[in-house]
Amino acid sequence: MNALFTSIGHNLFLVFGLLACAGAAVMILSTSAVHSVLGFLFSMIMVAACFLCLSAEFLGMAQLLVYAGGIVVLFLFVVMLVELTKYKEKSLFTTQIKWSFPLVLIALGIFAYTMKSNLFDAATPVALSLSSGLAEGLSVSAQNAQMVSRGLFAGFLLPLEILSVILLVALVGALVLAKSERVS
Amino acid sequence: MISLNLVLFISSLMFFIGVAGVLIRRNLLIILMSIELMLNAANLNLIAFARQSGTVDGQAFALLVMGFAAAEVAVGLALAVALYRRKDTVQADDINLLNG
Repeated sequence: MNALFTSIGHNLFLVFGLLACAGAAVMILSTSAVHSVLGFLFSMIMVAACFLCLSAEFLGMAQLLVYAGGIVVLFLFVVMLVELTKYKEKSLFTTQIKWSFPLVLIALGIFAYTMKSNLFDAATPVALSLSSGLAEGLSVSAQNAQMVSRGLFAGFLLPLEILSVILLVALVGALVLAKSERVS
Repeated sequence: MISLNLVLFISSLMFFIGVAGVLIRRNLLIILMSIELMLNAANLNLIAFARQSGTVDGQAFALLVMGFAAAEVAVGLALAVALYRRKDTVQADDINLLNG
C-alpha cells in the first residue's frame, strides 16, 4: 500500500493529466449540457494541477481563477439562459460521426509519429532562468510569479497591451451582441 | 521527473479529444468548450517547453493565450445567446443560412 502511494506521488502529473482527459471525455460524450459543463470544470481544475506539477505556480493559480472561477460560471449562465431540453428527442451527435473518429485517430497517429521521431530522447529539464539584468534582486527558483511578470513585461509588453485592447473590444462586443432588442 | 514526452502525450490526447468534440457534437456551447480544451492543451505544451528550455517566455506566452481565450469565450457565448434569441436554436445543424 505504501509503495502504491509512493508511486502515485512520483507520477502525479500522469494522474492529473489522465483525469483531465477523462473529464474532457465526459464533457464531449455526456447527453446533458450541465453534465458537460461539470466535466469541463473538472478538466480545467486538473489542468491547473498539471501546471502546478510543471512548476508553473502562478499560471496554475491563474488557470483556477480564470477558468474555474470565470469561464465555467459564464457557461453555466448561458446553459441556464438557453433552453436545451426541447432538443432531447433529436440526436445529440452529428451524422458525420463515422468519418470524424477515423480522422481524429489518423491525425493522432501522425502527431505521435512526428513526436516520436523528433523528441524521443529529449534533454532533461533545466531550471528556469532570467537574464542577469532582469533577475536582479530576485531568487529565481523560489518566486515564480515575480519571474513570470518580469519576463512578461520585458519581452511581451506590446502583446500584453494589445491583449488589453482585445479584452476591452470583446467586453463591448459581447454586451452589444447579447443585448436584448427592445420593441419600441 | 516529468519527461517532455509524457507532457506532449497528455496534451496531444487532450487536444484530439477537443477536435473530436468539435467534430461530433451539434451543440454550440459544447463546441465552444472543446475549443477551450484545445487552447488548454496548447498552454500545457507552452509550459512544458518553457520548463525544458529554461526560459520564462513560454509561461508568459501561456498567460497571454489565457487572456485571449477569455475574450474569445465571451464573444462566442454572446453570439450563442444572440443566435438563440433570433433563431431559437443553438444546434449547429440548424444554422444553415449559407447552405445554398
